[in-house]
Amino acid sequence: MDRRHFLKMSTASAVAIAASAMDVPGQGGLFRAAQAGPMPPGNGTGSMGATEVTSVCEMCFWRCPIVAKVRDGKVVKIEGNPKSPVNGTRVCARGNSGVQLLYDPDRIKYPLKRVGARGEGKWARISWDEALGEIAHNMKKVKEKYGPHALAYFDHGASAENMREIFQAMGTENFTSEPAFYQCVGPAALAYLQTVGYITTGTRQFNDMGNSKAMLFVASHVGENVHVSHVHEFITGLAKGSELVVVDPRFSVAANKAKIHLAIRPGTDTALMLAWINYVIEKGLYNKEFVANKCEGFDALKKAVKGYSMEWAARICDLKIDDMKAAIELLAKASPNVNIHPGRHSTWYGKGDVGRHQTYAILTALFGAVGVPGGIYFPTAVKTGHSEGIEESLKKVAPAKVSLKNDSGYPFSSVFGTVTADIIKAINTGKPYPIKLLGVNGVNIIQTIPNPYETMKAINNLDFIFCQEMMAGETAIWSDIVLPDAVYLERYDGVYAYEGLTPYLTVRQPVVPAMYECQPPYWIAAQLAKHLGIDGYHKSVEEAIDEELAGAGTSIAKLNKEGGIVTYPGNPYRDAKTLNVGTESGKIQLAVEAFADEDLDAVPKFEPTPVPPTGFARLLYGRSPVHTFSRTMNNLWLHNEIPENKLWLNDQVAKRLGISMDEEVVLENQDGKRSNPIKVLVTPGIRPDAVYMAHGFGSKSPHLSRAYGKGAADGFLITETVADPFIGATSKRTNFVRIVKGGKVLDIPELIPVPAELPKYVLKNA
Amino acid sequence: MNQYAMVIDLNRCVGCHACAVACRAEWQVPVKEGWRRNWVHRLGPANTAHGISFTFYPGLCNHCDRPACVAVCPADPVDMTFTDAKTGQTKTMKVAATFKDPFNGTVQIDKTRCLGCGACRDACPYGARYVNTEVANKDLGGEGIADKCTFCMPRVEAGLQPACVQTCIADARIFGRKDAPEIAKYLKDGAKRLESANVQIGPNVYYAGAAKDLALLDATSTPKTMPEANLRRSLLAGLVRPARKKAEKVGMAGSLLGRLLAQEENKG
Repeated sequence: MDRRHFLKMSTASAVAIAASAMDVPGQGGLFRAAQAGPMPPGNGTGSMGATEVTSVCEMCFWRCPIVAKVRDGKVVKIEGNPKSPVNGTRVCARGNSGVQLLYDPDRIKYPLKRVGARGEGKWARISWDEALGEIAHNMKKVKEKYGPHALAYFDHGASAENMREIFQAMGTENFTSEPAFYQCVGPAALAYLQTVGYITTGTRQFNDMGNSKAMLFVASHVGENVHVSHVHEFITGLAKGSELVVVDPRFSVAANKAKIHLAIRPGTDTALMLAWINYVIEKGLYNKEFVANKCEGFDALKKAVKGYSMEWAARICDLKIDDMKAAIELLAKASPNVNIHPGRHSTWYGKGDVGRHQTYAILTALFGAVGVPGGIYFPTAVKTGHSEGIEESLKKVAPAKVSLKNDSGYPFSSVFGTVTADIIKAINTGKPYPIKLLGVNGVNIIQTIPNPYETMKAINNLDFIFCQEMMAGETAIWSDIVLPDAVYLERYDGVYAYEGLTPYLTVRQPVVPAMYECQPPYWIAAQLAKHLGIDGYHKSVEEAIDEELAGAGTSIAKLNKEGGIVTYPGNPYRDAKTLNVGTESGKIQLAVEAFADEDLDAVPKFEPTPVPPTGFARLLYGRSPVHTFSRTMNNLWLHNEIPENKLWLNDQVAKRLGISMDEEVVLENQDGKRSNPIKVLVTPGIRPDAVYMAHGFGSKSPHLSRAYGKGAADGFLITETVADPFIGATSKRTNFVRIVKGGKVLDIPELIPVPAELPKYVLKNA
Repeated sequence: MNQYAMVIDLNRCVGCHACAVACRAEWQVPVKEGWRRNWVHRLGPANTAHGISFTFYPGLCNHCDRPACVAVCPADPVDMTFTDAKTGQTKTMKVAATFKDPFNGTVQIDKTRCLGCGACRDACPYGARYVNTEVANKDLGGEGIADKCTFCMPRVEAGLQPACVQTCIADARIFGRKDAPEIAKYLKDGAKRLESANVQIGPNVYYAGAAKDLALLDATSTPKTMPEANLRRSLLAGLVRPARKKAEKVGMAGSLLGRLLAQEENKG
């Protein structure tokens, strides 16, 4: 038979021939004996029989309890801690990939000193003594010349906590400015704090999806935004029959699971919410007893929302009125066991961001969904002791005469720290006072803070910048000194108490010794204190943790005997009769007087954000389910799963522009800034007036050998920001792009008419 | 036979890829193009006859009823004794380097005898196998070792769940004997196999979910034909066998087979 002939044969006959060829009788003598059963190791040993160490994940800020499996001194696998009441044995893709953060060949291995220009990424290896000496020398020098407030600290996560005390002890009021607050959760946190008296949505989210009968997500990407217990509660709720309404210009993972998806015009969410609130009041769909007894400001609310009709909102939001009605009635029917998801990342449009999240809290209250199963619930405090590296008396900060932190012009910012954008502005203008030194810890400020061009300019205006990092992202290559941080699997950190439905206490501890010359945050802070002549860190990190654990009646040793976790009974729900929330009056504020006192709206109004200028689409961004911020794109396993982001482009728009699936394009924003090339996902799952990409890709650091230049960075297209008037958080969804294909700029066709009430963004050069 | 099976509930799956990474960690699968035992393909959002869908194809070896990979293995059969984990009953059969367990229905590879020829990899319409060329049975003239999902049998035998099931953050994977109530319920409710008119080899991974999601999964991920390479490889394996038998006696089986297969590959 020739080869061509083989191919003509049917599959079935081929299998039959092969099968018969196998059954050659009488060949026993040649066969080697073999046993079925556990497979020989081959190319994998698995995790079974490995030594187990319990600890806490830090691939993102959710901090799932884990068990690390160690074989021959190497971490081979990470699993969820079966004793954990939240994640059990589960960890997400990132949690699984902690192994490859530890063993990433691109890790920062030694203290480094910049030898090229800032941003060039040329370094010389130096000793810890030299590195810390140089940082201390510059901190002292800048403080002496410009005063203590010329030092500023950008911080995020467990790595940054110890060093924050050093900046406090140096006397700067700018000892904390978390982009995680001012570029993310800030507006949502404030809205809930003022309405229901506690931060329902901070690092943790106290919303009981698992016991809900209905859920509302307004552009909350649960599922793409992956936190294990959060996703698990979401899915549990759905599986138990909870009906989901998703409001999102994009057909997200959550939208796919929704009963009703409202593909809203971007920037008009508050219009929909206000119309819904009005509808709920007018139709009497709210919980009258709860509102009468437990809420304040109902009349003010009723009056303020009166004008917002469903007809009006349908036009503004580009939605069908029947769908809008069906959605709100579905939610009302489920009350009080209805979950109006508080969202987290809320720095969208600047002006209305606090108000938008206020509307979620208001709707929650109208449905009486506070402290009940399925609604928002109350955290259960877990009592621990307290330990500090530096004594409180040495950390008294005297604010500057004209204080950047306290006189920011944003009435609600100062309790949260210094406004991120204000620090960048102060560096670039010298006003109200010069800031000349930056410490950056656990955050890649160039990818995170909007308008990276301003951030890079600011860095060039500094006398000195240092960072503590594991991977050399953009911020590291712009730093004068880079300190190699130990990975979470190599160190002790704080004590972690979970205050959710199933409270627990656990501790992070080293699984393996730190590699190379990397050092844990506690050690780095203690050594830097020594170089600065600051008294502190008299205890070892183990002693400090045991001091905290003693307050809970346990210790590291005891915890380890008990599987790494102590659990407590939760107290999430309240009897509606005795409910007393954390506001001044103990009642829920449907109209926030504290806002009115500052000449801000007590009840939010709809103030439209400009729609895309002709030829442009709004740039939306979100999460890749396997990545955290811009931190994990170089991880061997995670990069292998999702190496680059894609540009979601509406199929009708793509057709008009002649763009096909996976074609590579470049984006140009309203200020002429262009992106890296990015492949296109042509889909009906995004509106024609918006495009979408996952955040954190398109690294500009050549030291990240896998991630460098893969996909496009949304951050480098975000140059237009609007500050919110409450806390000065900066908007990120106020940017517009068009497509460049083969060097030719293509205008995005306007396929959906825009009502006259919505102003168009005016191009600067127009 | 009491077949092991897996159900993947797309109503629960969020496409987080934890399964794929946990598998890679558990079985130390090197990162190389196409090397994986377990994968997640992101599908859509795209229109289907049942509406728009954004779903996933979490894939792995299907441990088929009539596996295409087993028959094509050119390794010489040996006697292998299988034991039923439940009854302790044993059965001895002649098997090549890849075989289907007569008691639990899983398809396994004897890695000590695999030659890494790739016939099984090419035969699988689901692309569930790869050949790891970083390892080889050099004494047999092997040039690699085939690898794929084992349904985590070593873990299961130790009383654990498969790695992908254990880590699934949405509890979207249900593993067990086909007659276990939690599996049987899904099958009764119409969970689908990735089968088409020309590909009907009885896969034992089932997908449950909304009609739109199953439609998109089927349109994008169900193989429509048995692989052509399957045909060529398997026939070649059959033709080579007599030559191979003679050669084995003088200790050159693997290299001869390897050369023939390499020649065939170059033609293709």
